[in-house]
Amino acid sequence: MLKTLFPTLSRFRFAVQVLMLFVTVYGSIVVGHYAADKITGALPALSCAYDQMNGGYCVLVPTQHQVHHRIGQAMVQAQQVTFQMVLPLLLTFLTFFAFFFVIGKAFCGWVCPLGTLQEWIGKIGRRFGIGLRRFEKGDLGEVKRVRPVKWLLLLGLVFLLPLLTGLGVTPHALGNPFCDICPSRVATTLLTGNTEELALRIGDDWKFGLGAVANTLIGFMLVGGLALRLPFCRICPLLAFNSVFQRLSPLRLAKPTRDNCGSCRICTEACPMDIPEISTHSGRKAYNEDCTLCGRCAEYCPQDGVIKLKWGPFALFSSSREYYKAKVKGELPDGTVKPLKFVKNAAKPAAGAADA
Amino acid sequence: MKTLILALALATSGLAAPVFAQHDHGAASVTGAASAPLGRPAGRPPARDWTKLPLLLGKGERGERARATIAVRGLTAASVTVHAADGPAERRKVDYPVGAAGASIESVAPQVGNYHWIVAREESADTVRVASTAWYFGNPGDSPKDLLAVPKHELEIVPAPLPREHRSYREAEKWRFLVRLDGKPLAGQQVVMETEFGSRSTAVTDAAGHATLVFPRDFKPVAQEGDEGSEARRRARFVLSTEKEAGGKHYLTAFNHAYSQDPERNRSLGWGAAFGILGMVAATPLLRRRQPNEGASGHA
Repeated sequence: MLKTLFPTLSRFRFAVQVLMLFVTVYGSIVVGHYAADKITGALPALSCAYDQMNGGYCVLVPTQHQVHHRIGQAMVQAQQVTFQMVLPLLLTFLTFFAFFFVIGKAFCGWVCPLGTLQEWIGKIGRRFGIGLRRFEKGDLGEVKRVRPVKWLLLLGLVFLLPLLTGLGVTPHALGNPFCDICPSRVATTLLTGNTEELALRIGDDWKFGLGAVANTLIGFMLVGGLALRLPFCRICPLLAFNSVFQRLSPLRLAKPTRDNCGSCRICTEACPMDIPEISTHSGRKAYNEDCTLCGRCAEYCPQDGVIKLKWGPFALFSSSREYYKAKVKGELPDGTVKPLKFVKNAAKPAAGAADA
Repeated sequence: MKTLILALALATSGLAAPVFAQHDHGAASVTGAASAPLGRPAGRPPARDWTKLPLLLGKGERGERARATIAVRGLTAASVTVHAADGPAERRKVDYPVGAAGASIESVAPQVGNYHWIVAREESADTVRVASTAWYFGNPGDSPKDLLAVPKHELEIVPAPLPREHRSYREAEKWRFLVRLDGKPLAGQQVVMETEFGSRSTAVTDAAGHATLVFPRDFKPVAQEGDEGSEARRRARFVLSTEKEAGGKHYLTAFNHAYSQDPERNRSLGWGAAFGILGMVAATPLLRRRQPNEGASGHA
């Protein structure tokens, strides 16, 4: 039964993403209206607090808030840096980690609503034959050049600016700057039929500017996502945040050293984040900071047992030649799908024959 | 951490302080402070000018998560009763004496409990008059579902639901309220809404006792920068009331709180769409198909 419903890892992940999109965007229908009812206030995915119908809140929301209001303001009040002062932040991180421990960075590849939407945009691009663009030499440049951006956004927009705002150095409008530029805020609220977050705040130049960045990003994502896979994920500070803890979750990508690996690069072709290390390295380096644990590299590895998704000692999915051969019949590693063909049903008898 | 949702608070900062009480931006001037000592903005009429109904008007200091002052208007009560959504059982219902400045109330426990329901009651031989409101202390705590479900006096107006943390009642929004008598839904009961800006509307409860009210779009145009009352005018007070004769007594119950400006008044969908289109245009070059000699990777 399960094998019929979910013949591939991709199909299973698609079903999980649909379910998680409902939970993260419309989850209040199930869990309840009040913040206290939510699954958590520290989810390792971009489940936006601006969305009034969501089922949980992204961890970056309380992080900015606590850095701004607890730490920054307490320092202003000349209090000592006490355990009590940072306790809320620690509790947020502990709650985050309680969730993160279970499926680690799969929150990015399986749960995040913005990741799901970007993937679906990419599928539309592949379906309509829009040429795929990559971060690699000869196209958009090496992916390594993009990677620092997410760390800069994490440090600057999630920690530094909220802290400076709490200290009174920067304007109050810069208290939660990442949320203000986050495309998930606009996308998830639009999915609930609310245009409030798409509209820009007038009369506050900082808010207007940050909102303009968010809208530009989501516009870029909507069109650019047709050609470039997961454009925002590449600079997402939550991916950086999750990367800090990626070795602490039992769920991981495993690629032990094998003699027969390293030349075909099909896994990198399949990787929506264009991670070259998955083909050129093994061991810890193969599980890169950009990995979202989507599992496509393991699905498209043509060698038995070379790439695995493991939870602790247990291999949840392992690459195999047979699986690869079946998989590429329907979809190529870069996501290109076979064109839809409309053909007459051969089993249907001709009208004349039926009359006879 | 459920109490710490910065995002929405900042998006609507300055709107409806009561529901932002969890946010350190401050609970000052909450539930619509009616009199100058409790933070009435300059230029506003005193409470008695816009309603004769009983009101509970609160004020909390900026960042204060433990205490607040509740003033009682239009009703004579020696104490107010504070019901909490969680915390120690013996602290779930506490009476606080009403002094000259009002009643000084506290959260159910230090750094515990967000939603609190406040009631003041005046009873004579043939009349019972009740004022009620909700207060958000901003501490981690349970949702108010159970708190609201428990009857607290005879005739009640119960928000169904309350705005969640960092939200508020807002202009042009529909909100539902349950009217109960002795804990049972009251059908066909008229509920009257009055706002600080003089709007008045009525609704009648359905078979389940629910009345749905639309908050009027009655805020005045935004004041100019530097206007003393400009910030305060982003929110205003309202009061719901209902009356019923039962058991030889006349019951009057009021629920007051604050509502905010429609945030779209200060937002531009046109500018939002313009920058969205800008992003789309910026991404268009990506759609250009690569030429074969541009370095397609290919694979084995």
